[in-house]
Amino acid sequence: MTIVLLIVITILSILGTVVPQKEAAREFTGHLDPALAFVLYKLQLFNIYHSVWFIIPMILLSLNLIICSWNRFPTSWRLFHKALFPPPAWSRAFENLPPHRVLFSKRETTEESVRLENLLKKKYRRVQREDTGKATYLSGCKGAFSCFGVYIVHLSVLIIIGGVVIGNLLGFDAYVEIVEGGSSDTVRLQGGDSLKKLDFTVRCDRFSLDFYDNGAPKSYRSDLTFLKNNRVVYKGPVLVNHPVTFEGVRFYQANYGTMPGGEAIIMVRKGNGKASMFRVGAGAEFKLPGSDVTGKILRIEENLMGIGPAVKINIRSAEGDIQFWVFQYIEAIREKNPGLLEKVLLFNPGRFEPYLFSLERIESRYYTGLQVNRDPGVPVVAAGSFFLILGFMVVFFCSHRQMWIKLESERGGTRISITGKSNKDHVGLQRELLRLVREAIREEG
Amino acid sequence: MLNTTILGWVTFIYFGSFAFYLFNMVTVREFWGRLASFTALIGLLTQTAALIIRWIESYHLGIGHAPLSNLYESLIFFSWTIMLLYLIVEWRTKNRSLGAFVVPFAFLFMAYASLSPDINNRIQPLVPALQSNWLTSHVITCFMGYAAFAVSCALGFMYLLKGLEGSTGNSSIYVSTFLKFIPPLEVLDELNYQIVVLGFVFLTLGIMTGAVWAHYAWGSYWGWDPKETWSLITWFIYAAVLHTRFMRGWRGRRMAIMAIIGFVSVLFTYLGVNYLPGLHSYL
Repeated sequence: MTIVLLIVITILSILGTVVPQKEAAREFTGHLDPALAFVLYKLQLFNIYHSVWFIIPMILLSLNLIICSWNRFPTSWRLFHKALFPPPAWSRAFENLPPHRVLFSKRETTEESVRLENLLKKKYRRVQREDTGKATYLSGCKGAFSCFGVYIVHLSVLIIIGGVVIGNLLGFDAYVEIVEGGSSDTVRLQGGDSLKKLDFTVRCDRFSLDFYDNGAPKSYRSDLTFLKNNRVVYKGPVLVNHPVTFEGVRFYQANYGTMPGGEAIIMVRKGNGKASMFRVGAGAEFKLPGSDVTGKILRIEENLMGIGPAVKINIRSAEGDIQFWVFQYIEAIREKNPGLLEKVLLFNPGRFEPYLFSLERIESRYYTGLQVNRDPGVPVVAAGSFFLILGFMVVFFCSHRQMWIKLESERGGTRISITGKSNKDHVGLQRELLRLVREAIREEG
Repeated sequence: MLNTTILGWVTFIYFGSFAFYLFNMVTVREFWGRLASFTALIGLLTQTAALIIRWIESYHLGIGHAPLSNLYESLIFFSWTIMLLYLIVEWRTKNRSLGAFVVPFAFLFMAYASLSPDINNRIQPLVPALQSNWLTSHVITCFMGYAAFAVSCALGFMYLLKGLEGSTGNSSIYVSTFLKFIPPLEVLDELNYQIVVLGFVFLTLGIMTGAVWAHYAWGSYWGWDPKETWSLITWFIYAAVLHTRFMRGWRGRRMAIMAIIGFVSVLFTYLGVNYLPGLHSYL
């Protein structure tokens, strides 16, 4: 049953990696027949991991784990108790021992039994001694708890699934875009277009990005301010791999982009006079130095006709309106197209004489895309993961071992036989038995 | 770059080691076996040196980071972990027959990394998503798991081959010597179980370190990214291998076949997933 469920979940998981999911599905469905796309959508094939097809086997798997563990536990419990108090009739365990596991001592049986009991006590938590008239039996045992390892593993998997459920029920997963200088207190929930209002306001003071020499991105960073009732509560940067948590809500750097517009830095010079600098946004007006003439930025283009940043300026004077474009890389354009700027009046930055305009640069306004999450299930999943590893250690690397020593009087001395039993790792048991034999001999002197 | 030149040699050293392990199996002469182990060890040490040099070179370029950040570096590291694990197993079991089956994996991954024109062997700076302390622990645990599964797959092949011993048709003396050199079936099965356990624990740790990293980088510990999903599928397969062994006593031939299927899934998780769209695009 477990295997069947694992196979079903596996097949659905594979399907989910082949069929585009969620956002990616929107583009994919565009290429499909609408009726087919609708059927596939209704079958939840574009959100497999949250579909009933996926959730039902997961519930069944959880139930399966609970029931299997429940049914098996009493047996393990009995085994555990039996292991702690092993039965006295071990005669069979001492049959056909290899010669190296049988030793002879000149000392008396009682003396030997005390010595060996102390030796066992050093290594094994529980040591028992039993005298039947004919022989003395010593037994040492460790790792009896290892039969519970499998329950730790199953319980951990259930805890992890529980953590996921908690996260899905009580948490949320959202996204917000904030322009530099702007702020927001609502976020858009993923997998739908519904909005969620936060208990506080986030402001993006600045977004900055940095590149390596080879052009690969080096860092994306948003400087955020968190406000409550218009009071600043916390300020801090958010970078990829370094989210910020505020009131249990985590903010991740996920995306960025530039806003249309931004601000242009332009220089205006009258004849051979001193140049003045203006920082203006689209639609803003400025006075030309030493006159009543006003300039106005009509458009700001990041890349006009593929030849770089440009602004369109309108000059209003007593004679009427004049319009022209000012390019940032004017020298390069002049070199490539000699005479173009003089011929096309619209491209001549010296059209309004005696003023000469130049564009220093355009300062783009960025917006930052933040992923906004709240997942109260995380500590539960983390705890489950910790116990899962613990359970693996017990299941795979601990074994229940019992060591048995039988002492019999023989020809004025003692005959010592050593044997043992283990529920797994028989190679390890042999090694441990060999060590015990060696220690028994060494103490013999 | 010096490191890529040295890594180019390592490819040939591993090929030599593989050839010597084969000679050892068909001639049963101790000399070839010793030479094979020696060559393998030299290869591993040279490769370790090259990895350290690459690490240092990255600091000279001003973009210092552990050499675990792109497909080239991961292939090299995969091959390194396979050889490391193999030599440990050889040392513990005192048996060289596994070498002829495992070393070819290390050789092939090295050759793919060094010779494929699609693979960029330059040291690249870390993009923001990779700038995390979790990179090293995630990559090391994952590839320890992958390496264990590669060894387990080799053991699976050995088991199936050994199963042919004594059947009609392999009259050639070389074939029978070769098959005789492979350890008995029970030994292979027990060793394979232990290696699968090792791989399973490391894969689990790899998925967990990945989840912690994703929690810091992508906003959720689990996002059903194809690589995540396939690592889970691989985890299910090996969980099934262990479960059927414990509960139904599936051993031997079945275990060998499942070990091979498991490794196919590992390879898809590692390389095949790159053909599906997802977040793990850098590896």
